[in-house]
Amino acid sequence: MSEANKQQGAVQTTGHSWDGDLQEFNNPLPTWWLWGFYLTVVFAVIYWVIYPAWPVGETYTRGVANTITYTVDGEERTTHWNTRALLMKEMQSGKSAQKMQAYMEQVAAASYEDILADEEMLAFTRAVAKGMFGDNCAACHGSGGAGVMGLFPNLVDDAWLWGGTVEQIEQTLTEGRHGFMPAFGRSLDDGQINAVAHYVLSLSDHEVDDDMAQRGMQIFNGREGGCFYCHTSEGTGLESQGAANLTDSIWTVADVPGQDSLDGKLNEVKRVVENGIERVMPAWEGRLSDNEIKLLTVYVHELGGGQ
Amino acid sequence: MAQSAAVGTQQQYNYAIIKKFSIMALVWGVLGMAAGLYAALELAYPFLNFNIPEITFGRLRPVHTTLVIFGFGGSALFATSYYVVQRTCQARLYGEGLANFTFWGWQLSVGLGALSYMFGITQSREYAEFEWPIDILITLTWVAYFWVYVQTLRARSQPHIYVANWFYISFILATAILHIFNNLAIPVNLFSLKSYSLFSGVQDAMTQWWYGHNAVGFFLTAAFLGMMYYFVPKQAGRPVYSYRLSIIHFWALAFLYMWVGAHHLHWTALPDWTSTLAATFSVMLLLPSWGGMINGIMTLSGAWHKLRTDPIMLFMITALSFYGMSTFEGPLMSLKSVNALSHYTDWTIGHVHSGALGWVALISFGSLYHMVPRLYDTKLWSLRLVYAHFFLATIGIVLYITAMWVAGIGQGLLLRAFDDQFGTLAYTFIETVTFLHKPYVVRALGGAFFVSGIVLMAINIAMTIRQAKVEQAAIEAKIASKMARA
Repeated sequence: MSEANKQQGAVQTTGHSWDGDLQEFNNPLPTWWLWGFYLTVVFAVIYWVIYPAWPVGETYTRGVANTITYTVDGEERTTHWNTRALLMKEMQSGKSAQKMQAYMEQVAAASYEDILADEEMLAFTRAVAKGMFGDNCAACHGSGGAGVMGLFPNLVDDAWLWGGTVEQIEQTLTEGRHGFMPAFGRSLDDGQINAVAHYVLSLSDHEVDDDMAQRGMQIFNGREGGCFYCHTSEGTGLESQGAANLTDSIWTVADVPGQDSLDGKLNEVKRVVENGIERVMPAWEGRLSDNEIKLLTVYVHELGGGQ
Repeated sequence: MAQSAAVGTQQQYNYAIIKKFSIMALVWGVLGMAAGLYAALELAYPFLNFNIPEITFGRLRPVHTTLVIFGFGGSALFATSYYVVQRTCQARLYGEGLANFTFWGWQLSVGLGALSYMFGITQSREYAEFEWPIDILITLTWVAYFWVYVQTLRARSQPHIYVANWFYISFILATAILHIFNNLAIPVNLFSLKSYSLFSGVQDAMTQWWYGHNAVGFFLTAAFLGMMYYFVPKQAGRPVYSYRLSIIHFWALAFLYMWVGAHHLHWTALPDWTSTLAATFSVMLLLPSWGGMINGIMTLSGAWHKLRTDPIMLFMITALSFYGMSTFEGPLMSLKSVNALSHYTDWTIGHVHSGALGWVALISFGSLYHMVPRLYDTKLWSLRLVYAHFFLATIGIVLYITAMWVAGIGQGLLLRAFDDQFGTLAYTFIETVTFLHKPYVVRALGGAFFVSGIVLMAINIAMTIRQAKVEQAAIEAKIASKMARA
């Protein structure tokens, strides 16, 4: 800097002062700082040479000697480095991607029977479908598949509302389901609903008043209630209607196991009879590939022990 | 004698406006950080939103960011910049009424903005959520701020403009440009609060992050460097280390920052060349950013002994350390390969807070502790409370950042983990989310430490002001009795 500054003695300041005691030394730039800065500039320049970097008119510099090769419909394609091509290549030749692809192809070619009989394919299905289930199904059915009482069916119990064979599960996944039970709150009076509830509990071996259960059975199997149309006169339910088996002690809508007293259990059943059920499982065709549906079918089948 | 000199500066400079901004900085600070703490608790324990739409996380978060960045940070910047420009120019602040307008315009914008978010009125642009009528109020306020500042600079009785003022001016100018361009929007109609951005798609995203990152660069970095350049040498009682370094790193910072916003959009539909430029300019920004840290720390060197007795110095040195750390972390995260892991995870949140709590808040606390007693011509009510504040804040930051490193890097690694045998993804998305619970609890704990620190500060400052009034009254009584005797 200027001579005047050098002459100020040991402490070199710029010679200015503000607000009383504010001054500035004029120390040189720290060498490591300056060279560090140059180094980052060199890094940047090298980066610019290798990767797409500077816009030039309507186009941009593509990067030197840095291409990516991948295939589209069996045809090899080579482009300059770009993130889209990088993803394509990674999905085609990445180590994990290739492993998974091989298994996916094996599963796609196999029948349900073969998959269920083959330990390795089953293990693969569990690994890959756990993620698909977690990302697509768990929002309703829970990540373990236990569902939500009253709202979403439990997939790990032994009951299959719409059938538990692989074909039926596949149909459920592909086309979706509409679980419906009419509300009887207006067509039956309180006494009748109470009687039906008694009968329903008697089907799963609850100790209830016999007279009430008898009266309920008549409504259940008669024209007043007509419950047997879907639940059958044995109460075992029609899979074609998604109607629950009332004799298996498995409850997915009325929270009977959650109640300690008989009155509480009766109230749970009455609530369902009064209000009916309206549940929708969306159709996954078009949203998931056939092979993904296949994998999920096997996965869900395994969850509940299948049929 | 000291008294009359102080009365002199009280009359020479416009301190009233600075006092108002300082108090509001603390008011917004307490409110904004409390909102942040509550939002953090909601993430750890979602039931805490109690199904009240106004306080759900999505609405509370912009309330938090707006109150702390613009309410606390903004008011602290207005206060310190008005203080610094007057004292380093030895000139009274220009335009009494216009300066007051900047106060009311700014407070109204911050308050209305925060309220509007709670009722769901938002542009949905990060850090620029204000809808158009508030944007217009901000623009008017900011133009007034610019004018007040520049006119005061022009009236200076010093030949040279002190370095802190360059930083403040660049902050005011850049913020004006950023605010105006990012908020170009067309209201649905004149009586509707809803507006649509002038840009669409990837250009809209680019504009938003050009704004977003330069808000970090010029609002949260350059402006607070201005604060540092005045208050650190003042508190240390030593000259700034290197004038030359301050020039070089100022211009490098100003030039490089404008390019880097696109690093918020790596691995998206953004053109690859834009990504490259953003990443490389971010890396080149490392040492210019550190220039400020070096100048601050080297200014303190030679006054190290003061660290033992002066808690305000502790705030400043720690602020500079966190500044250095987060400006190293930033370029690292801007690299595409690192970003592939860190993006969309809490690492980003941790990074922001190491800058926001560690740098911005600590340097502001230090500066306010230095400035407020001088404004009121008294001493701080309690130095022990300042120590307590310092340790609460530091512990809070460390808990916060480490929790977010664990959460962010952990989730990033879980998301990209593959099954060795089958090549499938090892974890479902929800598994990577439930993993976050514990770090979120620790983060909220860190936040609680930090909030309790600023509450102590608010008490300390309130008592300091009260004490000043008592002292003033005593002096006036003395003078009155002297006059009576005479």
